Amino acid sequence: MSRAGAHLRYFARTSLRGLRASPVTAAVGISTIGIALVLVGAFSLLLTNMEGLLDRFGDDLRVTAYLESGLPVAERAALARRVATIEGVLEVDVVSEDEALARFREGVGRASGLLAELEENPLPASLEITLAERRRTPEGMRVVVESLDGLPGVSDLAYGQEWVEGYARAVALVRGIGAGVGLVLALATLAIVANTIRLAVYARRDELEILSLVGASRPFAATPFLVEGALQGAVGGALAVVILYGLFRLILPEIEAGLSMLLGFAEPRFLTPGGVLRLIGAGAGLGLAGSAAAVFQGLRA
Amino acid sequence: MSAAPSPGESARRDALVQMYHVSKSYLPGTFALRDVTLEVAKGEFVFLTGPSGAGKTTLLKLLFAAEKPSEGQIILRGRNIARLRDSAIPGLRRRIGVVFQDFKLLANRTVEENVAVTLEVLGRPPREVRRRVFALLKQVGLQHRRHHFPLSLSGGEQQRVALARALAGEPELLLADEPTGNLDPELTLEIMDLIAHASVRGTTVIVATHDLPTVDRYGKRTLHLEAGRIKEDRAAVGVRP
Ligand SMILES: Nc1ncnc2c1ncn2[C@@H]1O[C@H](COP(=O)(O)OP(=O)(O)OP(=O)(O)O)[C@@H](O)[C@H]1O
Ligand SMILES: [Mg+2]
Repeated sequence: MSRAGAHLRYFARTSLRGLRASPVTAAVGISTIGIALVLVGAFSLLLTNMEGLLDRFGDDLRVTAYLESGLPVAERAALARRVATIEGVLEVDVVSEDEALARFREGVGRASGLLAELEENPLPASLEITLAERRRTPEGMRVVVESLDGLPGVSDLAYGQEWVEGYARAVALVRGIGAGVGLVLALATLAIVANTIRLAVYARRDELEILSLVGASRPFAATPFLVEGALQGAVGGALAVVILYGLFRLILPEIEAGLSMLLGFAEPRFLTPGGVLRLIGAGAGLGLAGSAAAVFQGLRA
Repeated sequence: MSAAPSPGESARRDALVQMYHVSKSYLPGTFALRDVTLEVAKGEFVFLTGPSGAGKTTLLKLLFAAEKPSEGQIILRGRNIARLRDSAIPGLRRRIGVVFQDFKLLANRTVEENVAVTLEVLGRPPREVRRRVFALLKQVGLQHRRHHFPLSLSGGEQQRVALARALAGEPELLLADEPTGNLDPELTLEIMDLIAHASVRGTTVIVATHDLPTVDRYGKRTLHLEAGRIKEDRAAVGVRP
């Protein structure tokens, strides 16, 4: 076996022995990282769900182009095709006068009796234009609206400018708060983890001393501690995922009724598989960074 | 009496350790070692004696780069280690074995694992590590205890394990700081015999000790330190100074 192979075996064996030799310390490290990541994870769950909600609001962001009355059906279709080629337009639906009236009646509900007397349909036909996701900002919308303005056959444009601005602000706010809180949580977690691992390293300073005495380089002496830290972190991350899922399942039935009343279409989402992996990876990274900070400090002493 | 080597002496025997005007002060204005000049030849066995605080431990620490000298040069195998970069220290220590009064064994590792550390750091393959550890433990008479933990062994046995660990990498220099300080006379003899045996096999040995009867019994070259200076360099019995 090569020298590198011998070293690898040594690292694997020493790391596992370290974890087995001090199960309490290992458990403390794992639960510290686990709890910290439950906080981070809960926050990111909240964030994903809020963003999901905003996305669904975003799907409703539309520009309505009212058509001149008496435009032949064939021309409406041609216009729709033309609008569909405008950059930033995702989808174009043609809404005829009759459809518009039907929708209006449906929307007004019981009060529709008032409309029954109308002899003539006062509502114009329109194109309902759904924007591509990247255009769902005030500026994005303006670009699209400018291309629509003055198109032959289009009489008027309606687009909830304030709506869009509110939406964009909400998204920016959620993302901003998310980044800020995420950063604070990550730093706090790192500090706590580094401290926990520092204690573990301190408890084993005799081992570091002897390794240094027999001529182990710093990286060599540190590697088993780093591997241990990363392993503990990954296990802590997995633990956090399990706890979060439990909480999610537990809390969901409690708030689902309220949510659907409030939002109608809200369907809370758990972390994606990618999100789960990221959380476990974050745990491993935290464990690694924490033990690196602790070990290199310990080796210097 | 001067400890400085005469030119003839260096030519006669290859020097492993040379110190030139070495001083060490931990605190400004005080000296743990002061203007020490000495030479130890390859394969030589040297006792380092002197009252408490004379600087014995300090001298050994300078040799395995646990401390850096404040002044002077230290040449080991022709290489100046007085201003060694930190990254070069591990390489130096792999050629040096060190034994302490308090053994410094890892309590949560078996005898075998304690000895194996040296070889693992050297990156020796597992099979060779096992074979060599067994041979070393046999040498110190502890092969039957290889799966025991250090604290279940007597002090003498623990020091034998520490000695096996120190010798595992076949070091050219063995440093022992009061290796028998915690042991009764009978065990002292046992450990000193093992150290003397390593010397016979070619390892250069420096032993710091308070134990004058032992020093007299072996009749080896003795450097006597007082207040950080070499007060006497007594040649081994039967060797003309
Ligand atoms: N780390 C240190 N910081 C400050 N002073 C120190 C340090 N180590 C040793 N000294 C001082 O240096 C002097 C020499 O100490 P050293 O340990 O080398 O003596 P020694 O001969 O080994 O003594 P002993 O026989 O008691 O072990 C002493 O005065 C001691 O107090
Ligand atoms: Mg001492």
